[in-house]
Formats: sequence, structure tokens, C-alpha cells
Amino acid sequence: MGQAQSEVAPSDTADQMEPHPSSSPSMESLLAEAVAYGNDENESVEAKAQKALECPCIADLRNGPCGVQFSESFLCFLKSTSEEKGSDCVNPFVALQNCIKANPDAFSKDILEEDEEKKEEPAQEYNIIPPIWSKESQSPKSKL
Amino acid sequence: MENKEENQKELCKHIPNLLSSFVDTFVDFSVSGGLFLPSQKPSLDPQKPHEETPLSLQTRYPAPDRLIAIGDLHGDLEKSKQALRLAGLIDGSDKWAGGSATVVQVGDVLDRGDDEIKILYFLEKLRREAMKDGGNFVTMNGNHEIMNIEGDFRYVTKLGLKEFEDWAYWYCLGNEMKSLCAGLEKPRNMYDGIPMNFRGVDSQILHGIRARIAALRPNGPIANKFLSKNVTVLVVGDSIFVHGGLLARHVEYGLERINEEVRDWISGLMGKAAPRYCRGRNAVVWLRKYSDVEKNCDCSMLEHVLSTVPGVKRMIMGHTIQVDGINVVCNDRAVRIDVGLSKGCGDGLPEVLEINQNSGLRVLTSNPLYQRKNKSYLNPDSKEGLGLLIPKSGSRQVEVKA
Repeated sequence: MGQAQSEVAPSDTADQMEPHPSSSPSMESLLAEAVAYGNDENESVEAKAQKALECPCIADLRNGPCGVQFSESFLCFLKSTSEEKGSDCVNPFVALQNCIKANPDAFSKDILEEDEEKKEEPAQEYNIIPPIWSKESQSPKSKL
Repeated sequence: MENKEENQKELCKHIPNLLSSFVDTFVDFSVSGGLFLPSQKPSLDPQKPHEETPLSLQTRYPAPDRLIAIGDLHGDLEKSKQALRLAGLIDGSDKWAGGSATVVQVGDVLDRGDDEIKILYFLEKLRREAMKDGGNFVTMNGNHEIMNIEGDFRYVTKLGLKEFEDWAYWYCLGNEMKSLCAGLEKPRNMYDGIPMNFRGVDSQILHGIRARIAALRPNGPIANKFLSKNVTVLVVGDSIFVHGGLLARHVEYGLERINEEVRDWISGLMGKAAPRYCRGRNAVVWLRKYSDVEKNCDCSMLEHVLSTVPGVKRMIMGHTIQVDGINVVCNDRAVRIDVGLSKGCGDGLPEVLEINQNSGLRVLTSNPLYQRKNKSYLNPDSKEGLGLLIPKSGSRQVEVKA
């Protein structure tokens, strides 16, 4: 999302991912292309998407307490052909949201984020000015 | 058999990137009030399907057939939509309906209202839809964008803080999901370097404050995703846009240079403090010399500044609420379009400025007093019709501190 990232990363990943330099992947066609790599043309999109779910990258996501909802959302996203990719997946997305709300640790690792943060980088000097309404109950000290 | 394994391997190579897009889409959906952003330029650059448009800011544009200028929005999503509807820029399902029109929003999306992130997402969605339709949606920095990037949260509302807290929840969750996939680089902790406590900040609002800092500080996710696309000064045809106002020395400094430096600052390349021309009462986003009541408007200075920008006839500004609606002073050279529409400041009637290549300037208003004729200053034979646009009682301004 960062600027430097977006300028550099895509060409790198494109190089790594692309088995045939002549055919360029678009996001919409990535799955289709990936699954069509073999010559199993008879396989349904559904079956191909199911295969994608077996990839090791998403094993932890699939097996967690919201694994079912994740799998359904991710499958729907992979198969989505709408212009706003995923916009035909509102129902599974909402189901995933609800599961996450009910299981706040659904996807968290063992290490607590806050602990990690303290170790990694010390807090810097930060001058902020809090909202005016938040000062009203307190001592009216700093103002600008 | 071997072939099948090969297939599976090949397929799995693509999954980390697809997961990343999925998580981004899911987080966007969760924090934007249910929006899906259209992909950017789908076919033009198939090599870079995930990439945001390259960040080269354009400072000058030729005059479009139809140009709409919209003032300060201040976190009021509903009123923002009303303003856009007035000009036929969105349809009943809130999609871009402006065709090839160009829209300029002159800044101050943040503060005073509760739906800041939702507006940022909404405008971004419209920007992408407009691009596909041959239109354009340009957003600008106001003083409230600059303040929030610097950590000045005085005008944040309680629910505005809550919106950022909720955003942080889903954003961090998305990062956790990504970090479970070995093929993806571990996302950086967005709270890095932010203290756990601040003097004078109540513990009850600490979560919201830290989320807001993380999101909006230079190189923060919201700053990068949205604010880094804003321009600070803009020339479209014979109009120059700026949130507060321009002095001769700003023009001398260089309009392109200002835009690039502010963008670089927002992207985290220039430290914490905003460039100096963004700070203080003479800053480009703070100036009120041309938006004050007419007798205090420095017309000769404005005239001089405009003469230093070739081809430019008028300055269009937000920042100072015009309680009587959009108006012009100084021989049509100062156009003041902040109608204070947000419920959080003024709750004014939405109005937008329209500049037509053929028929000149007019104000589109939701004020029922004028509705039948859209304020009736439009003289089809004259491009100088804007002078007629001043309401009969002249114009008054509201004094606001920021």
C-alpha cells in the first residue's frame, strides 16, 4: 500500500509468479490461469477453487475457529467475476465478520502484539493535541 | 500423478498474492460501510493488477466541458452525498453518474463529523469509477488533513475516534490473517513507535487516539491509501484551487513543488512536521485573506497573485464558511465555496459550483428559495455571469477557528 512498495513490488512478484512470460496475468484471471496450467480442462471452476484451498499458505486460516467462514469467503472471492471483485460475496463476508466478532482470537498468533511492539521499537517522542471535548473534564492546562 | 502435483504446486504459487487481495478487500468492506473499490485500470496494465495508480500528482489540467467544485465536507457522509447528487454526479445507488465531468473537492474531509473514513473510501470509489468513465475526481488537502497528520486532534468527534478504533481492529486483523501465510511478508506493526500513554490523554480514549495516530501519521495506512493522493494546489482551465488561499510567494515557490513536497511528507519521506507553507495563518491551507467578509478581502493582492499564474482568472477556495452560500467577490476573482454543510459545523444547505465550458459559472443549490432557477445568475450569453450570483443581501461569513 505504501508508495515505494507499490512501485517496486508488482514487477518483482510478476516475475516470480509468471511461468510463461508471454502471457500476463490480471487479477481476475490469476486463478483461472493457475488452475489451467495443467491440461485438466474438464475440471470445474469449483473443483479448481477447492484445490486452491489445499495450498499450505492458507492452512492455518482454514483450520482456525472461523475456518469455514474463511474458506467460503475466500472461495467466493476467487470465483468472483464482478468488476468490483468480491462484491458478489457480501453474505460470506458478513458471516466471516460475525464469526470474527464472536471469536476475537480467530486468527491471532501466540505472541501478543503489544509485547512484540515494545521489543521492536521504543516509543518515540509524540506530541499530540487531544480532542477538545476530552479535556473538558480534566484540568484545562494545555491549549493552543 | 506427477503432473497433478505439479499443477497443485503451480496453483499454490499464486495463493499468497490472492490471499493478500482477498484480505484487503475484506478489510475495505468492513471499515468502509460495505464498499468494494473497483480495481484500478483493469486492462491498461495487466502486469500490475494489484497496483495503485503510480503516484505522480498532476497539478494542471485543461478545462473540462463540465467542472464541479465542492467545499469542505467535515465527516458528514450524508450531506456529502446530497452535494454530489445536486450536480448529478452520483445515481440512486451512489455510483458515479458524472460521465466525463471533473470534480474538485477542496479539502477538509476530516474532523467535526463521524464518518471520515467512510467519506475517504466513498470518494476513492468515485475517483476510480470516474476514471473508468473518462471523468476525474480530484481531492485536495485542507488544514484539517494537515492537522490530523501532525497529530492535532482538537476537532475530532467522539464517534470519529470510534470510527478509527474500529478501523484499527479490522486493519490489524487483516495483518494477522496475512501473517499466517508463510508466502507473504509479515506486515509491519502499524503501532510501531507510538507510545502506550500520552500525558493529558484520558485512558478511555487512548485506543482511539493511538489508532488515529497510526492511521494518519506520515506513512500511516490511511494517510498512504488516501491522503497521499491529494493535491494542495490545482489549476483547472482558468481556475486555481486551494483550500485557504495563495500568496505570491507560494506561486513563486512552485505549485508542482508544493504538491510533491506535501505528498512526500504524507508518505513519510520528510519527517513529522508539515512543510512550512502548510502551517500558520499565511499557509496555503489556512489563509483567509480572500475568503473573509468582502470589505476585508484583499482584492488587489489577489489580483496580483492571479497575474503570476498564466491563464488563470479566478481563485476557488474553501475553508471559511459562507453562511449565505457560495459567492464571489473581487470582480469575480475570488470564489468562496465552503457552505459549511457538515452537521458538525453550520449544517448548511449543500451547494456546489459548476463551471461549464460553454455556459460559464453557476451555483447548484439545494436551497428551496432558489431551486426553480438554480439561483438564476446564469446568463447564457455571458461567461461573466458569476457576479449575478451574489445573494441580494451580500455575503456574510462565520468566524471559525479552524
